[in-house]
This record gives sequence, structure tokens and C-alpha cells, in this order.
Amino acid sequence: MATAYGPDTRDPQRSGGGMENRLAAKRFLPAALRAPVEARTWREFVYLMLSFPISTVLFCFAITMASLSAGLLITFLGIPLLAAGLAACRGLGVLERARARALLKLDVAEPAPVRGRTGGLMSWVGAVLKSGVSWRHLLYTLLHFPWAVFAFCVSLSLWTWGWAALTYPVYAWVFPAYAGIDGVQLYGDSTHNVYLDSPFELALTSAVGLVVVMATAWVIRGLAAVDRLMVSGLLGPSRLATRVTELESDRGVVVDTAAADLRRIERDLHDGAQARLVALAMDLGLAKEKLTDDPEAAAKMVDEAHGEVKVALQELRDLARGIHPAVLTDRGLDAALSAIASRCTVPVTVEVDLASRPAQAIEGIAYFTVSELLQNVSKHARATRASVDVWRSADRLMLQVTDNGRGGADLTAGSGLAGLTERLDAVDGILVVESPAGGPTKVTAELPWRG
Amino acid sequence: MRVVIAEDSVLLREGLTRLLTDLGHDVVAGVGDAEALIKTVGDLAGQDALPDVVVADVRMPPTHTDEGVRAAVRLRKEYPGIGVLVLSQYVEEQYATELLAGSSRGVGYLLKDRVAEVREFVDAVVRVAQGGTALDPEVVAQLLGRSRKQDVLAGLTPREREVLGLMAEGRTNSAVARQLVVSDGAVEKHVSNIFLKLGLSPSDGDHRRVLAVLTYLNS
Repeated sequence: MATAYGPDTRDPQRSGGGMENRLAAKRFLPAALRAPVEARTWREFVYLMLSFPISTVLFCFAITMASLSAGLLITFLGIPLLAAGLAACRGLGVLERARARALLKLDVAEPAPVRGRTGGLMSWVGAVLKSGVSWRHLLYTLLHFPWAVFAFCVSLSLWTWGWAALTYPVYAWVFPAYAGIDGVQLYGDSTHNVYLDSPFELALTSAVGLVVVMATAWVIRGLAAVDRLMVSGLLGPSRLATRVTELESDRGVVVDTAAADLRRIERDLHDGAQARLVALAMDLGLAKEKLTDDPEAAAKMVDEAHGEVKVALQELRDLARGIHPAVLTDRGLDAALSAIASRCTVPVTVEVDLASRPAQAIEGIAYFTVSELLQNVSKHARATRASVDVWRSADRLMLQVTDNGRGGADLTAGSGLAGLTERLDAVDGILVVESPAGGPTKVTAELPWRG
Repeated sequence: MRVVIAEDSVLLREGLTRLLTDLGHDVVAGVGDAEALIKTVGDLAGQDALPDVVVADVRMPPTHTDEGVRAAVRLRKEYPGIGVLVLSQYVEEQYATELLAGSSRGVGYLLKDRVAEVREFVDAVVRVAQGGTALDPEVVAQLLGRSRKQDVLAGLTPREREVLGLMAEGRTNSAVARQLVVSDGAVEKHVSNIFLKLGLSPSDGDHRRVLAVLTYLNS
């Protein structure tokens, strides 16, 4: 399966259940013919049928509350009553969202709950009245009612008529046997009557029925699509609120990543260079003690200490490069990526096709993405060669790392790739992994271009 | 002196072992985490061969947070006879307070850097093994700086403050005298002056003296 990312994951029609059934049916029937027997059509039909009674209740409730509170506005009672009515509409919205989730597979996020500033009754009333979400819920109950009645009538009559005509040959015998007529009367006046009774007419009726059944399926979808729009447009959080939630989560990822990076650096320092320097200090301390009575042992210790210093320097250098590689700042992506490619355990060809340099932050993320991907190649891919391509496509910076290894890259939560996906997501970037078992693996990353 | 070392970095564990062995002490066991430390000490206790002192790193697997301190507190409770010296990369006054809770007998808290001064470090280990106290100068400085008795502390002469710091580290009068290059008698005079100014009753035992000073600074 390809990496789930972007808007696709939020489109339940593509990733929702029933996918397998539809895939199986696909082999036998084209989409147009499949529609009437699909579970989705039936679910939506049930939705439209339920809409009528539910919407009637909602409408009556909303009208009653609205007019009652409008009437009482003269007294003080009207305002809290209106707020209570709006709050009740919001409560009913929960029900409607659940119904849409179950039958339309439409996942609409819960709008933010109303919170009064002080927690008192009056501030709650004020918050309910000021919240656009409340009024949109009220609007939904009012607008949805006529629509629900219309959709109910159209879909029910088409559906009944279609199936009745389609199955007409099956029960046509009932008419001569019990009703004393030859068949369904198509036309009749005092001079002549037309009955559907010959085999040709039976077949024709059934054929017309089939056409209507086919068409009904699509009519139902069309009607349900309008319901979808209403539910997502009027019962969801506002677009601004949605974006705020999205950005909040992105910011959370950024903060978490930064904190995790700092912890990693601290750990690396603590376990690496710091420990080495303590050991070095200890060695030199011992050597100092021995300098007078055992110069030979002291010399050996100084020698060891010298070795330790060199290792500590190496570790510090690696760590500093891990924080930010100097070559990236000085020479840009091409040089920096070539440097990490040369440290990879398999031969890597690097191709960077950029006319200018992107912003430093983007460069940094691109560098660490490639670095992480090449580390994966070294550790897991069992590849014999790999390649890195970087290019610009309009306002996106594209990175692609491919290898000829065994594929089957792990995308589950907690894996390096999942972490990378999160990081890129935080800057509005995208990571797509194509890694079938047996390979080859192709990982493409997209970053916004900032010059 | 019989020592058990708990330190997750192999490099440092071996360095410490070599250092202590070199100066004629017996390192009976070296372990890499707190659980193994408690188990090892338990085993040794079973053989009636308790070590004199345990030297433990604060940060050890699995969580790399304060395993060492928690293990040290536990060991001090279960085997009051052994000294526990905790080594840390950073000074955390909180850890020192936890370690000193109850008694300051046979307890130490030092920065890892102190191992560079081999003699002083081994002196500190020996002191802790014998029931004394070894507090890092930085911990003492933090305690002095944070103490709410600043006005009283301000009444001390600079030399007296120095002596107070060294005393709080757990040093004996003669060690203080050596450090400051003065006579034992002079140190004794400073100490009695300090006790007078802080309003503490002079006590003879070195570790009880430390406790008195620390309690005073912490209150």
C-alpha cells in the first residue's frame, strides 16, 4: 500500500470499508451497472429514508424553539431560551454527524464545544449565541427539512417504481388470476383499454424498470451528495477552526521534534564525548600521580589518553555535523548530499538539479530527509546501489531516493519513515513510499519551495 | 576497601576500576545498571561479604534518568552499613537532598569530573566508605546560594565561608586545614566561630557536623 498522506486519507470513500467487495464486483460489472447492487447505494438510500422523519422532528423542534424564544424576547426569558434551543440544535448535530458517519461514511469533525469565559450561566448563554457553529446548526435544521422531504419523495418513488417494473414479469400472473384483468392497466377510457400482458410488453416493462433502477442508484448518490455538503458545510467546524486545529497539531509536531532532537543531542553528548572526556581526565590524573615513581606507566597512560582525545574529537565532529552540517551552509545541498552519499554503505549516485538555493530551513529538512533515507538504505535495504535525485517543480522541492534492495519498507507508527512523514507534514511537505516486498524501493519527498 | 561500581559506560567503569585498583582498593564487582547493582549487593550480603562502598552513576539504563539515585537511596535503607557515592554528569541539588534525607552518614554526591583529581576522588570514596560525607563543591555552592539564611551567612568572614563550604562537603578539620594551608588549630577556631554565628551547638562527629550545617542551610 502506498503511504497514506494528504487529503486522500481524509476521503473516506477511498479508504473506507467495502473496498474489497467493490473490488471483487469490479471484475464482473462496469461501474454504471454495479451501482444499484452496491452497499453504498443501499446505505445512502436508508439515509435518505431516515432523513425524512428525523428532519421533520428537527425542523419542528427548531421552529418551535425559535418562534417561542423570539416571542419571549420581549421578556428576559427569550434569550436563555434561544441559547438553550441553539445548544439543543448542537446536541442534535452530534446525532446527525453520527448518522452521516455510519451511512454516508462522511467523517465530519466535532466543532469545538462552547466555553463561557467565566463558567457562569450568563457567559455560557453569551458564548452559545455568539458562536457561528450554533447558528449554522439552526440553519441546518431549517434548510435540511425541505430537502429531506424532496429527496425522500423522489428516491422512494423512483426506487419503488423501478423495482416494481423490473420485477413485473414475476408477478404479472397475479392480475388475471386474482384481479380479473389481463395485467397492469397502462391506459383506459370508455372505448379501449391497454394492458401490459403480452410477453413483449412484459419484457419491455421489465427493461424500462431496469433502466429506472440503474438511474435511481445514481439519483440517490446525487441526492446524498447534497446531504454530504449540508452536513460537512453546516455541522462541521468552520474552515478557519479546521485550519487552526491542523496548524496546532503541526506546531505540536514541530515542538515535539525539536524537544526530541535536543534530548538526542544531550544523550549523544552524555554517552559519547562527555564520558570519553571524563575517562581521559581520569587517565591523565592517574598519569600525573605516577609521573615521579613510575614514568613508564605514566607514559603509557598519556599515550592512551592521547588516543581517547582523538576519538572524542571525532565524536564531537560527528555530533556537530548531526546538528547542522557546515558544508550544507557553505556549499549547499549538492555538496552536502554527496558527502552523506559517500558515507552510505552502498554506491550512491547523486543528482541535484537546482538553479538556485532554497531557504536554509528547507535545505536543512531536505538534507536530513535524504540522510535518514540513506541510513535506511544502509541498514535495512540490502541494496547494491542507490540514487538520490533533487529537483524543483514549480513551487515544490522534490527529493527522490531509490534503491534496488529488498523493499517492504516499514511505515507503521514509530518507524523512522513514520517520523519522517510527520516531520515533513509539519512543514506542509509530503512523503510517498513505494516499496513492494522484493523491491525496489522508491521514496519521494515533496517540500514547499522557499527561496 | 571493597568497592562495587555501577556505571553504564564501559569506558568509565573500566577507568574507575583501574583507578581504584591502582591505588590499592578491591573492586569486587562492576555492573551496568541499577537493577544489577541491587542484585549484586544483595548477593554479596548473602555471602556476608558486603562491600564498604558503592560507587553509582545517576543515569543508567533502562530509562537513563535517576535510576542511580533511587538505587542508592534503597541501598542506604537496606544496608545502613555501606557507604554510597553517587556520580553525576550534572549537579542536581534535588538528588543530593534525596540522598541526604535521614542521615548524612556514608553518603556522597560528586560530579563525574572530580575523578580527574585522582587523589581527592579516592579520598572521597574512602571517606564515604568509613561513614563520612562527600558533597561536591558545586552542590555546596548551590545550597549556600539558595539558603534563606543569607543575612546570617553574610555575617561570616570570607575565610569562614570557605571553611563552611569545605565542611559541608564533608571534610574533616585536618583536611580543611590541608586544603587551605593553615594549621589545624586555626581551622578549629574558624569552625567554632561559624557554629557560634549560625547558632548551632558544636558537635564533634564530622558527619553529624555536616548534617547540622546542611539542615541549617536547607531550613
